[in-house]
Amino acid sequence: MASLSSTNCRAYSSTSSSSYAASSSVHHGHHQRLAVSSVPKRFLRNKISLQSQSNPFSTGVRMQDGAVATKVTPVENETPLKLKEGLLSVTSSEESKDAAGFEFSEDKSTVSITVVGASGDLAKKKIFPALFALYYEDCLPEHFTVYGYARSKMTDAELRTMVSRTLTCRIDKRENCGEKMDQFLKRCFYHSGQYDSEENFAELDKKLREHEGGRVSNRLFYLSIPPNIFINAVKCASLSASSSSGWTRVIVEKPFGRDSESSAALTRSLKQYLEEDQIFRIDHYLGKELVENLSVLRFSNLIFEPLWSRQYIRNVQFIFSEDFGTEGRGGYFDNYGIIRDIMQNHLLQILALFAMETPVSLDAEDIRNEKVKVLRSMRPLELENVVIGQYKSHTKGGVTYPAYTDDKTVPKDSLTPTFAAAALFIDNARWDGVPFLMKAGKALHTKRAEIRVQFRHVPGNLYNRNFGTDLDRATNELVIRVQPDEAIYLKINNKVPGLGMRLDRSNLNLHYAARYSKEIPDAYERLLLDAIEGERRLFIRSDELNAAWALFTPLLKELEEKKIIPECYPYGSRGPVGAHYLAARYNVRWGDLGLEQ
Amino acid sequence: MARHLSPCSSSSTTTTFSPSSFNHEAHLSRKFIVVPSGTYSSTWVSRIHSRINQRMHPQLKSSNGHPLNAAYMQDGLPGNPLAKEHFEPRMKQRPIPLSEPEKAESTLSITVVGASGDLAKKKIFPALFALFYEDCLPENFTVFGYARTKMTDEELRNMISRTLTCRIDKRENCDDKMDHFLKRCFYHSGQYNSEEHFAELDNKLKEKEAGKLPNRLFYLSIPPNIFVDVVRCASLRASSANGWTRVIVEKPFGRDSKSSGELTTCLKKYLTEEQIFRIDHYLGKELVENLSVLRFSNLVFEPLWSRNYIRNVQLIFSEDFGIEGRGGYFNNYGIIRDIMQNHLLQILALFAMETPVSLDAEDVRNEKVKVLRSMRPLQLEDVIVGQYKGHSKGGKSYPAYTDDPTVPKDSLTPTFAAAALFINNARWDGVPFLMKAGKALHTKRAEIRVQFRHVPGNLYKRNFGTDLDKATNELVLRVQPDEAIYLKINNKVPGLGMRLDRSELNLLYRARYPREIPDAYERLLLDAIEGERRLFIRSDELDAAWALFTPLLKELEEKKIVPELYPYGSRGPVGAHYLAAKYNVRWGDLSGEDS
Repeated sequence: MASLSSTNCRAYSSTSSSSYAASSSVHHGHHQRLAVSSVPKRFLRNKISLQSQSNPFSTGVRMQDGAVATKVTPVENETPLKLKEGLLSVTSSEESKDAAGFEFSEDKSTVSITVVGASGDLAKKKIFPALFALYYEDCLPEHFTVYGYARSKMTDAELRTMVSRTLTCRIDKRENCGEKMDQFLKRCFYHSGQYDSEENFAELDKKLREHEGGRVSNRLFYLSIPPNIFINAVKCASLSASSSSGWTRVIVEKPFGRDSESSAALTRSLKQYLEEDQIFRIDHYLGKELVENLSVLRFSNLIFEPLWSRQYIRNVQFIFSEDFGTEGRGGYFDNYGIIRDIMQNHLLQILALFAMETPVSLDAEDIRNEKVKVLRSMRPLELENVVIGQYKSHTKGGVTYPAYTDDKTVPKDSLTPTFAAAALFIDNARWDGVPFLMKAGKALHTKRAEIRVQFRHVPGNLYNRNFGTDLDRATNELVIRVQPDEAIYLKINNKVPGLGMRLDRSNLNLHYAARYSKEIPDAYERLLLDAIEGERRLFIRSDELNAAWALFTPLLKELEEKKIIPECYPYGSRGPVGAHYLAARYNVRWGDLGLEQ
Repeated sequence: MARHLSPCSSSSTTTTFSPSSFNHEAHLSRKFIVVPSGTYSSTWVSRIHSRINQRMHPQLKSSNGHPLNAAYMQDGLPGNPLAKEHFEPRMKQRPIPLSEPEKAESTLSITVVGASGDLAKKKIFPALFALFYEDCLPENFTVFGYARTKMTDEELRNMISRTLTCRIDKRENCDDKMDHFLKRCFYHSGQYNSEEHFAELDNKLKEKEAGKLPNRLFYLSIPPNIFVDVVRCASLRASSANGWTRVIVEKPFGRDSKSSGELTTCLKKYLTEEQIFRIDHYLGKELVENLSVLRFSNLVFEPLWSRNYIRNVQLIFSEDFGIEGRGGYFNNYGIIRDIMQNHLLQILALFAMETPVSLDAEDVRNEKVKVLRSMRPLQLEDVIVGQYKGHSKGGKSYPAYTDDPTVPKDSLTPTFAAAALFINNARWDGVPFLMKAGKALHTKRAEIRVQFRHVPGNLYKRNFGTDLDKATNELVLRVQPDEAIYLKINNKVPGLGMRLDRSELNLLYRARYPREIPDAYERLLLDAIEGERRLFIRSDELDAAWALFTPLLKELEEKKIVPELYPYGSRGPVGAHYLAAKYNVRWGDLSGEDS
């Protein structure tokens, strides 16, 4: 059974092959480059992006053509369209191709992962542990090298010591954990250099080549550095440390600019040195298990899709809250604020996944096309549909929690929102009139991220009398809790057992911790694996990013120009009450602040 | 909160409890129940209503309930303090102090005819006690046992007391309550066909009723051949003079259309339709009650409730024991009559009916009749019958059906049956409704399974392997044991890969509702007392049900169809699988996943 036997590391069920293991997909990438290496890079990449807009199988087909004919010919732009009709035959021929390519390239490709900004917090806490987890799960290719790159002087051994402190084995702690760690650390190296020095990157290139030992080299750069040096690093890496025989990909983290203009400028600069398909804009929320599961729920179950429209859904809520403030790290945050930090990216991405039409396939381009369509159908945010807040100090149980502006890294007169709630609308046939509410905040009473779907009232409800006056409380609600403690539950009305006829909301429940004892992988593991495999579904394409900024930029401008003062809320509270009034305006009640949750 | 009705109200509408429905009944049954014009006196109505109100207080507040009642009361009792109280906020839930003349007070007498029988001991008396324990019985009530055996009141009490139990929660006054209850229990010995003996009973009842307005409920827990005699005697000699008289009858209601029709005709000689309460205890089960709540109070189910989304529906009943020496009755009826034609068909009708105008008994039953009448009568080729044979397992051997001393050696009576039914209406055309019922199977359960269609153009097809049937959604309502509702969904297995998995959105009653779930008989007795007919079977419903099964039953008997044998304790005859396969169905309970 293909469904049950597919490998552990397979990050994605592409249409190309039913036994599409991690290793084969690496070869797949390698194949592609190997076959066309004599063609000027620039030309080749144009081809790819052209194709990818139009056809989900483009890469597969390209590979086929490349492998057979060695040279890329312009005709291939047409081939996919023909082949698309015979999906099965494409698949099978591709499978055999994959199999054939196996022996040929088995020991000849290698991947080098360079973490630029290796001494930073994210690198230590997330990137290295995620790389180790992938290694621990045997999801990395056989030949790989991890390089740390940063300005600090450090030896390989020092890097290894630093990295080793944050590595953990899975909960299941197989017996070879220590051994695996040693093996992993042996593959970790460090190179010290400036972020804007081509020379330093050229040195890195030399070292990388040494480790690659003549194999086809694929290179992944993870830029874990402040946005102001993005471009420099990209320039140097691309000019001096690109792979000459395999692929070169660059993962970049938010912020992707702070409005439409700066984001576009950043994209333009990146594109001076990289092609669209080399840029992997990471949004780690898209790597969360339950966000991944959102599409599975919608598209592999019959019972949800019929309900997925304005006809049945009354409103949708995307809620993010953190129970801590900036805690001395306000330097970056104060310049961005919660709307840019959480809403414009994480929550909007989830919204797009939630609301998109059914894609042609699960291919990256198909999905991203649908997401862009949703974003472009949305009304740009208006000031009156937004409430912003900022946390103030609060004393509870003898402990005093600081206000946002008490943070040393934050200007005393900062108006930066640490909380925001907004109502968004999608003006298309499916969602016209349905409010999509977002709420994100720091220093709130709880830590959570969830999607809540509130359904409409039952028309002509026979049991109206049993619900009292507040029919809103009697509607169905689907809750997808992304974190913590992953769960899916559907609130239904139910008769309380007994002789009377009392109705009650109870939950049809799927609690992940109870059902799946395995540790759920961190979002970064999935995303790194996807980047290595060239799976772009969970990364943000340039046009998606533009569309997202187009929605938020006018609002952000207005907030800043009018110097809108945020509503203050106590540290650890449920946020400003303004959020309730905003919800009430659209006849919505926040699902997370009801009496029952 | 208005949602929290008092624990004893078993319906959500006013109608069923309201004086208007009572009057309606009284009107129709004038033949037997003499209703003095004074019955309609305002005080009488208000007494009744006040009791109703204690249960159903929110109803009066809602404007669209039954303005007639409200108006009647308002008009009739401009200055009546009792009536006034109804319109006050419901702080007073206690019974109203008896400031009214004694005469207006009502009392309830419950006579269990066949008091020494098994059902009476195991179910009826315990259910009555449970209602008393929960304060669901009227303040004045008397329980009478009636049977042929000579017994004193004391002996009856002894007999009953052995089977009474307090709820799991065992409040401290349990013994106290038992004593109180037993003090209200009496016994009268008499023949089932003796009008004289029933007249004696009437005298005794009158004594206990002590001039209060008497309402009388007869529970006939006796073999079918003496039904009519008892109904005649009870109706002629022991009917209430000015209150209501109701009769609960248990299955079997005949053994085919003809005999059932005759039984109904006979009953109707002495009773009106409103007085007949045909009990089907499956309709009193918690999850069967909940079926309508699920469908009609949730937005998410009703849109899916049709041939567009539902591939098939399965109604499954199994027992893990045989007839164990009690084949005398069973052999004459067989599993189809015993389980399918009544319990499973009733559940099917509730499941498949259109939305009723209201939750009123007549509205609900009208819809059920419509479904039954839209159904195709069963065809022999759509039915599999089986009979269990002896089986040895782990050194223990289990007897065959025909090993039972009460069963003829050559009996062809089915102890197992599976059938495919079809409803030829717009909602269900082409959707197979499969029923399966059997004794001596490997498990004990009753459940409803709704299998949904495939996802059209499923993006995740490749992740399911070849058997797409295994990848469809399924809603399961487990009626017993261990009540639960769960919805099987496809879900991503957490991890780096993309493996799909069927997991369950579930609601396990035991986990969510630690309180004991009342027995079906409690609910049904309470409903009969309150005149709530929703869960009882109307004559036309019964006719329609028999009309579906009678041709098949005749054919089985005439053609002497030999049942497929299956070992005691097994999963039943394999023929059931082939029957399912014929309609592209796979039994959900035998899929390996959750049997």
